[in-house]
Amino acid sequence: MRTRDIFSYSFSAIKLRKLRAGLTTLGVIIGIAAIVALLSISQGLQTTITNQLEQGLAADTLIVSVSTGGAFGGASGGTGGGGFGGGSSGASSGFKLYLNYTEEIKGLSPDIEAAFATVQQSGYLQDGDRVRAISGGISGVDFAEYANIYSTTFVAANGTIPLNPSNNDIVVGARVHDPRSNGTIFVNVNDEVTVIWTNATQLPFTNQTYTAHVAAVLPKIGSFGIGGPSDTGVYVPISQAQSFFGTDEASAIIVKLTNSDNATITNVSKLITDHFSNQVNVISATAVLSLLTTIFSTLTLFLGGIAAISLLVAGIGIMNIMIVSLIERTREIGILKAVGMKSRTVLSIFLCESVIIGLIGAVIGIVLGWGLANIVAVLFSGGGPFGGGGGLAITPILTPEVGLLALGFGVGVSVIFALYPAWRASKLKPVDALRYV
Amino acid sequence: MTLTTPVVEITNLKKTYMLGKVPVEALREVNLKVERGEFLSILGPSGSGKSTLLNLIGALDKPTSGKLLIDGVDVSKLNDNQLTEIRLKIGFVFQFFNLIPRLSAKDNVELAMSIAGMSKVERTKNTEQLLETVGLKDRMNHKPAELSGGQQQRVAIARALANKPRFLLMDEPTGNIDSKTAHEVIELIKKLNAEGVTIIMVTHDQNLAKEAKRTIQVFDGVIESDMVN
Ligand SMILES: Nc1ncnc2c1ncn2[C@@H]1O[C@H](COP(=O)(O)OP(=O)(O)OP(=O)(O)O)[C@@H](O)[C@H]1O
Ligand SMILES: [Mg+2]
Repeated sequence: MRTRDIFSYSFSAIKLRKLRAGLTTLGVIIGIAAIVALLSISQGLQTTITNQLEQGLAADTLIVSVSTGGAFGGASGGTGGGGFGGGSSGASSGFKLYLNYTEEIKGLSPDIEAAFATVQQSGYLQDGDRVRAISGGISGVDFAEYANIYSTTFVAANGTIPLNPSNNDIVVGARVHDPRSNGTIFVNVNDEVTVIWTNATQLPFTNQTYTAHVAAVLPKIGSFGIGGPSDTGVYVPISQAQSFFGTDEASAIIVKLTNSDNATITNVSKLITDHFSNQVNVISATAVLSLLTTIFSTLTLFLGGIAAISLLVAGIGIMNIMIVSLIERTREIGILKAVGMKSRTVLSIFLCESVIIGLIGAVIGIVLGWGLANIVAVLFSGGGPFGGGGGLAITPILTPEVGLLALGFGVGVSVIFALYPAWRASKLKPVDALRYV
Repeated sequence: MTLTTPVVEITNLKKTYMLGKVPVEALREVNLKVERGEFLSILGPSGSGKSTLLNLIGALDKPTSGKLLIDGVDVSKLNDNQLTEIRLKIGFVFQFFNLIPRLSAKDNVELAMSIAGMSKVERTKNTEQLLETVGLKDRMNHKPAELSGGQQQRVAIARALANKPRFLLMDEPTGNIDSKTAHEVIELIKKLNAEGVTIIMVTHDQNLAKEAKRTIQVFDGVIESDMVN
């Protein structure tokens, strides 16, 4: 029998049982749509985060912080996260990273160009009668050095960043200026604001305040920046931070390298950790990126696995339908064989039906999944009702690989689960099949 | 194939069914030779083994022992696939028509041709011709459910003839249609044999049986008599 005739015969069989075939296909559609939606969102998210990281992160810098057991220690938290290696409070070993260690670090390697400390605490800003928590933290930095390292992000969108700031100058992130990104301004350039920090190091807790002058507003950077400036952060001169927070401990020391070679990064990282007897963490952009990549591939695998289970259920549905269809069509198969159809052709007809179901299901599933991914992306991105603090703009990504994978999976699952019923159909003996009523 | 090769040649044929552990001897010892162009009718009481014999001649089943030559080929030595191929040379008409309900008369006939691998153009031409022969050209787009019993059986005969078979086997072709519609089927069978088609049929229908040129009587799995009318 010719392939085309096999195909059209299979198709006529499917057409006869539209509702049933439709329901079977629905199983495949849901499975494939789930896979496509999950994978394209997770890929989009990965790309978004990676891009933002690369933007907010200089490849030739290392961030040294006190080892707290985890890489992401710190008091600042929140998606606004300038907070990798944040607060100094987490140290369990009693080791303290002092501000003047920068000199020691600088002397460790000729590959180190500069090193400077940051001091970070969580606090509030008050402008008139409005008070807001600063989720990105209040960071003391050397404005000149900071601007030098983060030359694309620590720049003024409004006002100017003073390179020799007076003690009450502060620089605020874009979302401190405009918290909802909708023009509802909280603080503006040249505002006089009150910086509030709750000193919780001794009882009773006391609120400390000072009046600051907003010198500049940063441009919108995105959600992530390791060590670098953050949209939700407030930046004060390092000397002011030191005296205001009453500390000579650094939250982190930022080390600028002369180059961003992997060898240099590894080398210097090791020199620094060794120098402080493993009591510090050294984070590099490269390390964070590779960690994130690992996290994402695990996540993708996990999500894909969940979606694959739904496809498995669809496969069992197909098998079920095929067996029912086989029983219903026993007589028909008997006729076909009596007329001279080979077992191989009977097998092909049944498999062809499953290929058609799988193909239609996969194509619709891919389209639906893609649509779903876009809807979810809109809902969870900045503008949507679920657009949380981060305001992460996810653009789902459907690579040709994922598309083909979904197609292959849809057809593959259908065929695999149709194999048994198809095989049974092909093994029917015509005399027996014709006796069947 | 020479002209003298019988279309069917049976020697010492046995068929035993197993009902659980109990053997049922449906055919005990059958010897039969059918030449080209014959019109043979098989008679016998219910359960005597007529259908069993016809199924074996139609290569739908394999004999337990004995020799069965179809068109000179020994069927007992063939595997399932080769058996299937032999069926393309045989036209089988069933008591219950056995048309495929979702396909029109035309498509039912065409299906047999497409199974044999015939091209679409040829199929269309031959199908129309065959339906013309059985007198159903004007009904060719009707589904089986929209046809009378006699018409359905004529479609089944057209399908059996689709691949120009060496012979036509019919198991009670009028067994499920009333005597009035049976008439048109009988006329068709007579006409086909007159045109040279070899016919072997099982029937209880006196009107049909008397048209056959040779009658064999099966009784309890053996041929009791073999007469030329
Ligand atoms: N598949 C089978 N399994 C077991 N026994 C069978 C099978 N097919 C037929 N038989 C038995 O073989 C014997 C012959 O059956 P067969 O169908 O050939 O009879 P028949 O002459 O065609 O009868 P009828 O006129 O009623 O159609 C019967 O006893 C029947 O019960
Ligand atoms: Mg019978």
